[in-house]
Amino acid sequence: MQRLHARYPFLETARDAVATEAVDLATVVDQDRAVVDRARERVVAALEDGETGEPRRDTRVELLSYPVARVLVSMVEERVLVRKYARAEAATAYDRFTTDFENTTELKSVESTGLDLEALLAEFDLDGAVRETADGYRIDVGTYLPLAEDLWGDEWHLVNRALTDGEVPVDDDELLTLLREAIRSRIEDGLPFDVPDVIAAALEDEAAEIREVLADLELTQDIDTVVPDLFPPCMKALLDDIQKGEHLPHHSRFAITAFLTSIGMTTDEIVELYRVNSSFGEEMTRYQTDHIRGDSSPTEYSPPSCATMQSYGDCVNKDDLCERIPHPMAYYEERIDDADDDEIEDWREADREEQSASGD
Amino acid sequence: MEERTRAYLRGRFRDHYRRTEITPPPAANEREWGFIPWTEGPDTTMVRHRSLLELGDLSEFLVRKRPRHVYFSAGRFRDPGASSMSAKDWQSADLVFDLDADHLPSVTLGEDTYAEMLAKCKDALFRLLDFLEDDFGFEDLEVVFSGGRGYHVHVRDENVLHLDREHRREIVDYVRGIGLEYEHLVETETVAGLGRKTPTERRTLEIEGGWGKRTHAHLMAYVDGLLEMEEDAALERLQEFDGIGEGKAEATLNAARNNREQLAAGNVTVHTAVSQLAERFAERAVADDNAPIDEPVTTDTNRLIRLPGSLHGGSGLQTVRLERDELDAFDPLVDAVPDTFRGHEITVDVTDPGEVELGGDSFTVTDGDQSLPEYVAVFLMARGRAEKEKE
Repeated sequence: MQRLHARYPFLETARDAVATEAVDLATVVDQDRAVVDRARERVVAALEDGETGEPRRDTRVELLSYPVARVLVSMVEERVLVRKYARAEAATAYDRFTTDFENTTELKSVESTGLDLEALLAEFDLDGAVRETADGYRIDVGTYLPLAEDLWGDEWHLVNRALTDGEVPVDDDELLTLLREAIRSRIEDGLPFDVPDVIAAALEDEAAEIREVLADLELTQDIDTVVPDLFPPCMKALLDDIQKGEHLPHHSRFAITAFLTSIGMTTDEIVELYRVNSSFGEEMTRYQTDHIRGDSSPTEYSPPSCATMQSYGDCVNKDDLCERIPHPMAYYEERIDDADDDEIEDWREADREEQSASGD
Repeated sequence: MEERTRAYLRGRFRDHYRRTEITPPPAANEREWGFIPWTEGPDTTMVRHRSLLELGDLSEFLVRKRPRHVYFSAGRFRDPGASSMSAKDWQSADLVFDLDADHLPSVTLGEDTYAEMLAKCKDALFRLLDFLEDDFGFEDLEVVFSGGRGYHVHVRDENVLHLDREHRREIVDYVRGIGLEYEHLVETETVAGLGRKTPTERRTLEIEGGWGKRTHAHLMAYVDGLLEMEEDAALERLQEFDGIGEGKAEATLNAARNNREQLAAGNVTVHTAVSQLAERFAERAVADDNAPIDEPVTTDTNRLIRLPGSLHGGSGLQTVRLERDELDAFDPLVDAVPDTFRGHEITVDVTDPGEVELGGDSFTVTDGDQSLPEYVAVFLMARGRAEKEKE
């Protein structure tokens, strides 16, 4: 059993095993170097290679390194790390369970270290929602949508699926990909969490090292730069319209506001940027912006994709870069990346200078 | 709207609520409630963030407040009366669809009459229900005439209540055919070449479900139409498509004649021209079959929706829950006229005259004071086209 848990540390039973195994996590991180080293390696490998590194032979070390790795991820407290880490753990699990499934069919028996499809489906409460058919599987649509939410590629969009009677047909490989997503989402769930001081103190060096790796990779640079010149043409056009005082339909207003929020603008700044126009309703803008940001609603909304922009007729003045990107955010990221640093003048900086000048 | 008109409508709305039993939505106490009172000016301030606990018994509340509009949330919350969305603690939400005549591409505003708009809306409703019942297999559906310009569908099947905004957007895109890629409707498999050594690709349109099935239905209807025509007419019809000349038209017609069965099975490799043709029917399927629902209503998991059974303050019509088998016969301009306003006449001062079609009758309403059936008078006053006569 321990080998199975070491191989798949995100399983419910693995969690129980940890609970009985590790008298308490504080003692482990304080005294068990092997576990801490392996935990650090898990996270660093996730960042650098999108994998979780070489597993240890000692199943105890291997198993306990997983909860400690989660502690490390929590201590660093960066969204990008959580995402990368969860993705790497899920990718590793995917490699392992696909191998296990192949072995299972070949040997017609499940070794104690292996996992079969049935068990994995049951682990994620998917046994009721997934049905085997002659040429693949059918998944309940309410289960499919959350599992497919982060998958790239038009083929995952529901509109391109042969949905019938509430079920989405998927082939064998697609089912495995969706299972990987179920794992990723479970791993991501609850991260980052509050780490008790006594544990954090013992892991400060490891956390610092991970922060360094992260800084070297320059992943944490949230786009927090507002350069309207580098906006995608669609957003430029919408912003122009607003500033000209045009009345925008709801979806257009949503698109530009969500975009501005995503590039790091605060509600105050957005209100300021919109204020140029006379028919501008500050109250409305504030409400909408807070709502999109998730301050006044349970969801933080992301700006619409190119496909959605197109379908609403908001996709205008397409240029070459537009052809290559699926999302207005991707456009802006690429433009920012390509621009020389001194070309980038943040609108807010310019504004601040202006303000301080007029105050003199 | 003059105060005497408001006072009249308030009073009559109260009379209506006194004599009408209203069935609240399921889990009514987990929902946020909101209403718009009869206040001065066009400005409508919504009183919201109320729980049913605060409102008290629903029927009693409606009689007491006789609101102009009343709503409940699609979302269910742990604390529905909390004043901010995050404090409400969202649990789940009905999946709601809104078809509004104002947003229908088929409606020409200013040209179509109210009745025509509503008829077009009902067509769209049937298309929407095809998706919801067949493709999504939903069973817990509540269809509602909004009392205004359209229809709402509330879906309460357990398996979708947890879906968040992004997931619901996928459902919207599905129903509207947004992001449809013909490439993904087609399955490609390699088969042994017929009479040749090299294997060949067979491309089959997905005909089991989804937009593939719809595309296929349009394609087959067209093909069967061709087969019934004289050769010349069929060739001409085919050449109406851009990019289909004489040669491709002949090839397609031959393929249709010789391989109809293959086509019926979804095989679009019978000829390259057929494959191109099929692709155009994906676009046509979207244009003809999509249901132009109002996206933000479906994706907003906190949305407030008009309460079925309540009166719509902008029309004086009733928001009506409809059984599936009543839909065909349902005529909103007759069946949503509240009984309270039937059977007597009142005098109003009409400021915006014109035709009014209501209660199964047509009225040519002129300028100035006149006696009209109360439901017509209420309709005109609610729409701001008449005032209650001066006492």
